[in-house]
Amino acid sequence: MVEVRLEGVTKRFGRVTAVNSVNLVFGDGEFTALLGPSGSGKSTILYLVAGIYKPSEGRIYFGDRDVTDLMPNERNIGLVFQNYALYPHMTVYDNIAFPLKLRRTPPEVIRDKVLEVAKFLHISELLDRYPAQLSGGQQQRVALARALVKEPEVLLLDEPLSNLDALLRIKIRSELKRIQKELGVTAIYVTHDQSEALAMADKVVVINRGVIQQEAPPDTIYNEPRNVFVASFIGSPPSNIFPATMDYTEEPCINLPGGTRHCVEEEYAGVLWRMKPSKVIVGFRPEHAEIVENPVDGRPVIVGEVYTVEPLGRENIVTVASEDIHLKVITPPEVRPEAGELVYVAVERGKLMLFDPQTEINLKYIAREWSQGG
Amino acid sequence: MARRGRQALFFLLPMLILVVAFYILPLVLTAWISFTPLTNWRVRDQLVDFVGLENYVNLYYLARYDPDFHKVLQTTLVFVVLTLFINVVGGLVLAILTYLIDERISLGYRLLWLLPRMTPLAVFGLLWYYFFYGGPQGTLNSFFLKMGIIDEPMRWGTDPAMLPYSAWAIIVFVNGLVGVSYGMIIFYSAFKNIPRELIIAARVDGAKTWEVIRHILVPIVRWHIVFVTVWQLLSLITSYTHLFVLVQWSVVDKWYGTTLALYVFNTAFFDVKNQGFAAAAAVILVIIGSILGLLTLRIMRFSQMISPPRGDI
Ligand SMILES: Nc1ncnc2c1ncn2[C@@H]1O[C@H](COP(=O)(O)OP(=O)(O)OP(=O)(O)O)[C@@H](O)[C@H]1O
Ligand SMILES: [Mg+2]
Repeated sequence: MVEVRLEGVTKRFGRVTAVNSVNLVFGDGEFTALLGPSGSGKSTILYLVAGIYKPSEGRIYFGDRDVTDLMPNERNIGLVFQNYALYPHMTVYDNIAFPLKLRRTPPEVIRDKVLEVAKFLHISELLDRYPAQLSGGQQQRVALARALVKEPEVLLLDEPLSNLDALLRIKIRSELKRIQKELGVTAIYVTHDQSEALAMADKVVVINRGVIQQEAPPDTIYNEPRNVFVASFIGSPPSNIFPATMDYTEEPCINLPGGTRHCVEEEYAGVLWRMKPSKVIVGFRPEHAEIVENPVDGRPVIVGEVYTVEPLGRENIVTVASEDIHLKVITPPEVRPEAGELVYVAVERGKLMLFDPQTEINLKYIAREWSQGG
Repeated sequence: MARRGRQALFFLLPMLILVVAFYILPLVLTAWISFTPLTNWRVRDQLVDFVGLENYVNLYYLARYDPDFHKVLQTTLVFVVLTLFINVVGGLVLAILTYLIDERISLGYRLLWLLPRMTPLAVFGLLWYYFFYGGPQGTLNSFFLKMGIIDEPMRWGTDPAMLPYSAWAIIVFVNGLVGVSYGMIIFYSAFKNIPRELIIAARVDGAKTWEVIRHILVPIVRWHIVFVTVWQLLSLITSYTHLFVLVQWSVVDKWYGTTLALYVFNTAFFDVKNQGFAAAAAVILVIIGSILGLLTLRIMRFSQMISPPRGDI
């Protein structure tokens, strides 16, 4: 339908900078998730695209069209709010018909379109009811119907599933994805639920304090976080992150907590030789490590004492204390060490992430930028 | 069911006692007095001296033949209808305006409109006394004289050449100024309770400002509009204090500034002190008020707006 582009967009509210010089492209027909903690500026970006807020700086484009100064109703967007914002004094039918009535669409056309979209979203039997007489999931679909009936080029969704129970959420999120693909509409989906973002989106944009942290497909976000923030925000439990000193006697090696050493893989070696940082920030995912009794050759190993064990049925989360650092490891249900036991935490080969201590950027990305830059 | 009834009674009891003591009893007493020839509060010999419907018959003849009383009835109708319109529609307009503009400006603006209501009655009366005063010192006169719009001072509310409209205009204006802030406050707070997203949603759906007002703001506060209308209607029918001051200080003509409520008050306590007759007029007033109140609720389809209880007790 149309591609949405933000170029150098900044939005300030008084002294608060909610969105800070953001450059983003939301691909035509793509489903993009905006992911970030509370107050990071997700809704603000959405409202900027919708035209509810005007950017303090920068321009916004829909395809070739500069829409920066256009009103919301001139942009052909559909917007679904976190709390649905259905008009309480109108029936479901009138709610859905409202945008068409405002466009002075002939009544017969309105009728056809409302019935069609209602059928599409399985709410045909709810048309006479008032919003207060609907369940959360039904309200959500009505809100979606109201956004879709306009046949928008861009569909904006602000945490539309956050009010639903976990089961309904999973059901509706696949439904939403299907609808979006069927219509081929460009969708921007705001959420602070990372599993939702990873499961639904073609592309995930991670944002913190109004600044874009990473913009990539879900697996990249998960496997190759661009910086410490993304690594520690994504995953449950999130990545283990701790500082470590370096040693360059023969090759770049990390002094891990508990007194072990690990000499880094090829892909990090080059960049470390060039930068020669005395310290790095180390990270690995709890699911990429295991508890072993004897250290295995080649794998990075950290020695520590079992602190707590949380059995979750399908798996256990074991917390290991090494020096003053607490590491979480996901283990199979049968691996359930005693608290106080001395164990080795072995990280899968190639799963150790290293970050520059100053910029907190993943050294892998720094290496890539260098090789690209020449 | 019986238990629920008892429970309900328990919670309603304090209010019931108040209503009985301060409304039902006086009402019964008034109705009683309306069948007696009570004058000048000669309670001892006249309170049990029934005259049947005489007071009502007198009232009927007055309504039929007395030109002054005709003026009172006309004034009542004009005053209630116009002031009610100003209070409800004006209140709504003010609330919408103050809702749409910047909060800081809007606060001062609303306070400004509250001033007439906060001003003590005597001060307020004095203000309008000077404002509409018939001599050249009167505010309005001196202003118009300076501007060269008039050549000599006008007696705004009493000059027979401009009656009854000038007197009506003044009483409607003065009372509207006091009453309009009530609706404004109620409507404004109702608007403030509308979630912001609802307005944004309407904007995104393509509504222009007046369409937001028409399709969202006004329908959502419909219940408040009904409430303010009925409340203001009843209070306009029965209140007389501001009018009393205006008439007493001759800001407006005596008869074209007197409504039925003021007429009852004057008859009972001021002019002729004929309490029996005043009571009869008061009873009629209560009946008119009740009918009009119910009628308004019916017209505004109140019953459709009553929702079932929010939970079972
Ligand atoms: N209208 C406003 N006036 C002033 N500050 C605002 C306004 N809207 C947002 N902010 C501020 O901008 C920042 C970003 O807000 P935003 O609503 O975009 O966050 P969010 O990422 O959507 O958070 P959440 O997940 O809690 O909805 C916050 O610090 C917020 O306080
Ligand atoms: Mg938000």
